[in-house]
Amino acid sequence: MTRLCPIVCLLCAALAAPLVAQDPAPVPAPETTPPPAEATEAPPTDNPQPRRRRRPVVVIEAGTVHPVAGPAIEDGVVVIRGDRIVALGRRGEVEVPPNATVRSFPTGHVYPGLVDAASDAFTDAAVRTDGSSDAADALADVLARRGDREDELARAGITTAYVAAASPALVRGQGAIVRPLREGFETWQGHERAALGLRLTGGPDSPHALQRQPQLQAAVDLFDGLDEFRKARTDHDEALQKYQKEFTEYLDWHRKKNGKDEPKKEGEGDAKTAPPAEAKPDAPKPDEAPREGGRRRRGGQPPREDGGGGAAEPASAPTVVDALLALAQDPPKQDPPKPDPAKQDPPKQDPPAADAKPAAKDEKKDEAPKRPTWPKAPPKDPAKEALLRVVDGELPLRVEAHRPDELRAALRLWDERQIPVMVLERAYGAAGMANAIAERGIGVVLTDVWPGSLPEAYEAFDPVALPARLHAAGVPVAIATGSARRADQLRLMAACAVAGGLPADAALRAITLTPAELLGIAADTGSLAVGKFGDVLVCDRPLLQSDARVLLVLAKGRPEFEAN
Amino acid sequence: MRRYLPLALAAAVSPFCARAAAQDVLLQARRIVVAPDAVLDDGRVLLRQGKVAYVGTEVPAEARARARRVDYGPAFVVPGFVLAQTTLGHDADLAERALPFTPDLRAAEAADPWQEDLLELPRHGVTALALAPASGNVAGGIAALVKSGRERAVVGDDLYLTLSLARNARQAERPPTSLMGAVDLLRSAFDGVRTGIGQGPDAAVLRQAMQGTRGVFVYADNFAELNAALDLGRDFGLRLVLVGAAHAEKVLPRLVQQQAAVVLGTLRPELRRAELELPARLAVAGVPFCFGGDPELLRQSAALAVQYGLDRRSALQALTRVPAALLDRDGTLGALRQGHAADFVVFTGDPLDLSSAHVATWVDGVLVAGSEPGAAPVAEPPAAAAGVR
Repeated sequence: MTRLCPIVCLLCAALAAPLVAQDPAPVPAPETTPPPAEATEAPPTDNPQPRRRRRPVVVIEAGTVHPVAGPAIEDGVVVIRGDRIVALGRRGEVEVPPNATVRSFPTGHVYPGLVDAASDAFTDAAVRTDGSSDAADALADVLARRGDREDELARAGITTAYVAAASPALVRGQGAIVRPLREGFETWQGHERAALGLRLTGGPDSPHALQRQPQLQAAVDLFDGLDEFRKARTDHDEALQKYQKEFTEYLDWHRKKNGKDEPKKEGEGDAKTAPPAEAKPDAPKPDEAPREGGRRRRGGQPPREDGGGGAAEPASAPTVVDALLALAQDPPKQDPPKPDPAKQDPPKQDPPAADAKPAAKDEKKDEAPKRPTWPKAPPKDPAKEALLRVVDGELPLRVEAHRPDELRAALRLWDERQIPVMVLERAYGAAGMANAIAERGIGVVLTDVWPGSLPEAYEAFDPVALPARLHAAGVPVAIATGSARRADQLRLMAACAVAGGLPADAALRAITLTPAELLGIAADTGSLAVGKFGDVLVCDRPLLQSDARVLLVLAKGRPEFEAN
Repeated sequence: MRRYLPLALAAAVSPFCARAAAQDVLLQARRIVVAPDAVLDDGRVLLRQGKVAYVGTEVPAEARARARRVDYGPAFVVPGFVLAQTTLGHDADLAERALPFTPDLRAAEAADPWQEDLLELPRHGVTALALAPASGNVAGGIAALVKSGRERAVVGDDLYLTLSLARNARQAERPPTSLMGAVDLLRSAFDGVRTGIGQGPDAAVLRQAMQGTRGVFVYADNFAELNAALDLGRDFGLRLVLVGAAHAEKVLPRLVQQQAAVVLGTLRPELRRAELELPARLAVAGVPFCFGGDPELLRQSAALAVQYGLDRRSALQALTRVPAALLDRDGTLGALRQGHAADFVVFTGDPLDLSSAHVATWVDGVLVAGSEPGAAPVAEPPAAAAGVR
């Protein structure tokens, strides 16, 4: 008997396994961030249901809560469940869940985590001085933590930063949005390629406008040839569609000729001869367009996705048989002619036999259609594809331009190339053209909002008064550090802007919500609002005061810095 | 011509200013900082003939009634900033580079009170400064006191002696070419005075320094330079003030022991954290220090120091009272106490918060920058106007 027990158990287990697979227990949705150790567990019950992890709840109570998107809340409360804010309001009016971790700062001030719209954090000297980058380069591929002061963005209250290389290259590649953490950073998923950088300035070392002209023109010329590139891609797509249609006709003809019926509809066929399509999810369906860039194969079939050799795997067995039969009866006379790589236009399709010989069609209705040839894909150019994304508005263009003539060139670029989303960086000389910038809806990211921070060549510009001038004209203004080493000074720069005439609430917005808007992440961060990430900065006094100390920084509800 | 128009206007209105200065002025504001440790809320100060006559409740009712009332409302009033050492960017005229040892030269002889840099300073809160020989000479000479007001006078030509152990003082074209040589040069000179060998004007200045009647400011940045300067101060009994002193944290115990003071350079956001935290460490250790470097960035330096742990009171002292004391002028400068010069600056808020904007600067009881409440602002200097263009 004792010998039989294990066997019985194994049999039971084997029988139970399919049942479990058919009726699985509900699985909680995956968390964006793994819950920390203090996550509360569901109380154990007799019901053998799988345990569901509850997301931790953190409650911040403070003397003043500054949501940025609304008026300040005295004696306020912020409730964060998991990584999102779930409630916000005055104490007593907001329900505090039981088992919540409550952090109380009776005289503290709570702000959203700061957003640095321009930083060089997590880059090294090689990246910063690389003059050979192009539009296809992605900075996210080379970011790394170095463990020095320049990695300490979270300590300064910065929970989100746009990182780009301030290199001398004309095209600086694509910057990334990162989330600084206590030990390193994480790249914001979906924003690894957040914007394309363009350096439309000669810097302070090119004092004469004529000296700068070639560089300005080169930037405008970057966008030349994009129409042709786009047309080549469009033509190729059309050629692929045509190919698919002709190839289907080609198969159908041979199927009929060999006396086979039409492929049976899904579910009607015998499972032994026609397995359902979902049994082989990788197999291309008959009505599925061949993949772009696939290698042209003998017989014109699209390549297998798994890169395997031989004929493409059909959706059903009869289709394979039909195709092989057709090939056997009508073998290719010769390989298709090799396309000219320099030729951008897609190769001409062989006209159907019926069109080529209408008379013959009348005479021989059953003549086999000519097997179509696989259209050649246009040459790949990732840099142009990136520029196309800019022109299509999928990728913002960040243009660094300092002097008025450089800024005018940027506006001309916006006008002529119809750049949908443009952001100006370090626009020191923008005061005189604030209205023109505002009319185009262009945002401005200002660094060096600090007295005496500009080189002597720029002494005519007032970096402290500029934010107020632009704000008065209606330009969205973000204040950024420009350098990870200045992370601590982001709020002091905002304070300087206030001294230059910027309203205090606009200054606070310039380091939180406005940069989030310019980066396209305002739905998730930049202000304290229900549904946004739990990015919270707690100070012991108003943020713009020089002696304000950072007490606590939460990013997605997790503590990334806490003062001793 | 446009460039000098404001100067001409200023010269034209100066007699009226002088008459205005003759009348008592009753200064009122929400907060008046008489000294870093004495703050008047809703305070008043009576100014008479360019000096502070009465403070707070001491102002007699009769004088209050006769005085012209200047009420800055919610603003903050603080004593004018004192810059203990600067060359105003004129290093070439403030260092005799062919000769390394010129302790008797006087910076006052190279001072031009009409230079445009002086017109800029009141906008940044600076009301008095010491124009000092540059760091290019091992012994540069004697500093001069200049007021940045409309009178623009050199009010003292006999301040401290300037020495230099900084890299600038060591040049390949003439000795000394090394730090060792520079230290030896100074040590030999002081030894000569001590033994009576040294004579003449040079020796007279050194003798005053050794007797403690004249302060000695030494340019020194790194540990070796600071250490050498402290050795000289200890061996010859000098009243030592170290200028620059970027690495002063490395000699902090010696600074405390020898009661040396420090004139810090401009604090910038890019500096090492140790430099940014240095003012707080000096304050905790009890080392007298003041902010120096770029005259236009004194307040920013102080604000950065506050961000990195310096308390506000020490920061304001480092802008006002401490530099005045280092210049031996704490009886007349660096505070708004009775008998002090009526040098003060008005800000929209606490001057150590960079969100506070400059409103006005008064020197010797005369408005020299900004505006009086309800009045048009004083004509901007040419450089300021250029910034607006």
